Amino acid sequence: MHCSNFPLRQPAAIKVHVGRNHRELLSAVLVLCSFIAAPAVADEPVRLTNDGRQKSSPVFRNGDKELVYTDFADATLFQLRRLVLADGTTEHLHSQPTSAEFEPAWSADGEVYAHLKLRGVLSIGIVVRDRQGTTLHEIAPGGGFNGYRSPAIAPDHSRLLFSYAERGSQQIWSSQLNGEDRKPLTETTGINNWPAFSRDGRQIVFSSSRDDDFEVYSMNSDGSAVRRLTNSPGQDIRPRFSPDGKRIAFTSHRDGNAEIYVMDSDGSNPRRITVTPDRDDYPEWFPDSHRIVYVSETGGRHDLYAVTVGP
Amino acid sequence: MLNIGSFKTQTCGGLSRRSFLQLAGSVPLAMGLGGTAFASAPRAKSVLFVFLWGAPSHLDTCDPKPDAPAEYRGPFSVIPTRTPGVHFTELLPRIASRSDRFSLIRTHATTAPGHPDGGTVALTGFPELPVPVQPNFGSIVAKARGNQGALPPFFSITSGMLADAGRRIEGYGGGTLSQAVDPFLVGCSASGEIKLPALQLLDHLNPLRIQDRRQLLTQLDTATRQVENEQQRGWTRNMKSGYDLLLNPVARKAFDLTSESEKTRARYGYTTFGQSSLLALRLVEAGVPYVQLNYSRHPEALNPGFELGWDTHIYNFELLQDQHCPTLDRAFSALLDDLYDRGLIKDTLVVMMGEFGRTPKITPNAARDHWPLCYFSIWAGGGVNPGRVIGTSDKLGESPLGDLVSPLMVGTTIAHLAGIDTQARAEMNVLSGGKVIDALL
Repeated sequence: MHCSNFPLRQPAAIKVHVGRNHRELLSAVLVLCSFIAAPAVADEPVRLTNDGRQKSSPVFRNGDKELVYTDFADATLFQLRRLVLADGTTEHLHSQPTSAEFEPAWSADGEVYAHLKLRGVLSIGIVVRDRQGTTLHEIAPGGGFNGYRSPAIAPDHSRLLFSYAERGSQQIWSSQLNGEDRKPLTETTGINNWPAFSRDGRQIVFSSSRDDDFEVYSMNSDGSAVRRLTNSPGQDIRPRFSPDGKRIAFTSHRDGNAEIYVMDSDGSNPRRITVTPDRDDYPEWFPDSHRIVYVSETGGRHDLYAVTVGP
Repeated sequence: MLNIGSFKTQTCGGLSRRSFLQLAGSVPLAMGLGGTAFASAPRAKSVLFVFLWGAPSHLDTCDPKPDAPAEYRGPFSVIPTRTPGVHFTELLPRIASRSDRFSLIRTHATTAPGHPDGGTVALTGFPELPVPVQPNFGSIVAKARGNQGALPPFFSITSGMLADAGRRIEGYGGGTLSQAVDPFLVGCSASGEIKLPALQLLDHLNPLRIQDRRQLLTQLDTATRQVENEQQRGWTRNMKSGYDLLLNPVARKAFDLTSESEKTRARYGYTTFGQSSLLALRLVEAGVPYVQLNYSRHPEALNPGFELGWDTHIYNFELLQDQHCPTLDRAFSALLDDLYDRGLIKDTLVVMMGEFGRTPKITPNAARDHWPLCYFSIWAGGGVNPGRVIGTSDKLGESPLGDLVSPLMVGTTIAHLAGIDTQARAEMNVLSGGKVIDALL
């Protein structure tokens, strides 16, 4: 048995890596392979994980071979977990972390990544690492109760984006990877969060509550030319440019609960992708710009799913 | 006190199985309570107190202020409930759609602005000082009602003693009524596995797997020898009560969440709070007079070594929309539905609240701090008239308009509906000066 795109590991290797029920794992691998080899839209969405544990913020690394996400298996020490799409195995991204780690973000070429780290009581910093996981920089927040949110790395690694609160509002900031040369890209009332670069690094998409509830906006990478892209009741959050730059995926509550939507990069043609009574959230594009991975609470369990949205 | 806390690092104390059994046999247990003679017929045969430990923001959940200035209102939209003119934020759509099944109080205020004391006030109606500490509402019900079946009269669903960081909440249990009416602690994981903190020395012990009494005794004996001498007596009593519960078929049935259908378990969600809520339902179904369902053991959020509680000094909006509200919305709405569908709601009083509210004005950290001057609660079943809103807060959510509702009034109302009348409360010397929230009834 093998996938057409990715060879499968031997069952023994699977057992070593995940140590759980074989039959369940085999089932997961089978559906995973069927999705990778020949996506059948009628059978979608395809479930990529089966543990059901709380998870969030999936991002790709190594092209479309691996996903890294936040795993809440231990509610006191949530960690980054790596899913190998070819065989469905998962493991911790970092061995034996002693602090909670969450919200991973990769550069487009995979050379640099960042994540949040719980440094102490109500203190959350950003860790920037190279491809091998070696720490390049640890950026501490200000004193007292303080923390960064939603790191994002420019495709050329020149800048780091994050959301940071002070004086009652929360803005999008840009800095060097070491945290120096900080510049606010937004200066508005309310909450600005979830910044994400376009593949060419020229555009940033984000959400803001400046006009009441959360809506999706875009701006140039220097903070100029801000443009509102959504106008709907309820939250429109966590926007992500497709790698080809043509579309934006985001989570919207406009129909009563959290669902995945896609729109053109100018905000036109919004289209609902998921239709479930449960929460569907944290969209992330496959590198081919045709599919999306997301977290769904279908059946009361939190798992990663993939769905084709077409070209 | 039935919880032993953490003993994982304790060393051998050399207690034999024989001496353990002798000690255990000499200690009176809450499971043997007979109740008092002066409790009247209750409207609520069971009370389910849902404690949102850490204190949820009232503005971001059940008392939104969409017309307030941006520095107050927060980023969330509001949605209508089934109660005319009443709105919640968009974070609680399932609960909002069931507002005809409960009543809402928006005019709570407390005297305790911090967690340790605030927790005690919320659970007893009185501050920690001056001592002696007053009893938990559940202990009062347990004292008055005694055993209503084979199970202890007061369960607290939590992975361990409620604490603020390392400091336990003094209002956890019996207080002036004695440790005999402390809660029995039971934990529940996201997958529905039951854990008894009183037996946490016994690694890999699952109550549902205990089939052989001698095997259990062997495990207990081994574990007992790991306890230091000065703690033997208390620990042995705790272990005995846990042991009794393990061999109690009624308890084992109540603990067995796998006997529920997958569809039912899914509606609650496979989260710690979700499956704990289903366990709470089953304990009520088994006739337990008082169940305290705790959202978390600690109030802290984003503190190393602690789970995520409601104390959102930073990341308030992120934690509410990503974690707490989706979890609560799913579990509590399923709980309400099942209480109705299984015919339990008439005889079960449900109260859900935190220990205070959170600052209406958004803090410099774009979050919300403690706010004892105004917060909310939800009441259902057990004699409560549903579908109503009791009182309103001002336009910024800073202060109640009209009469305040205190934690003491909460406890007094719970006792009243549980059949503990004025005379009974006076004879127990509890809830002194408390008034019933008549508008709820």
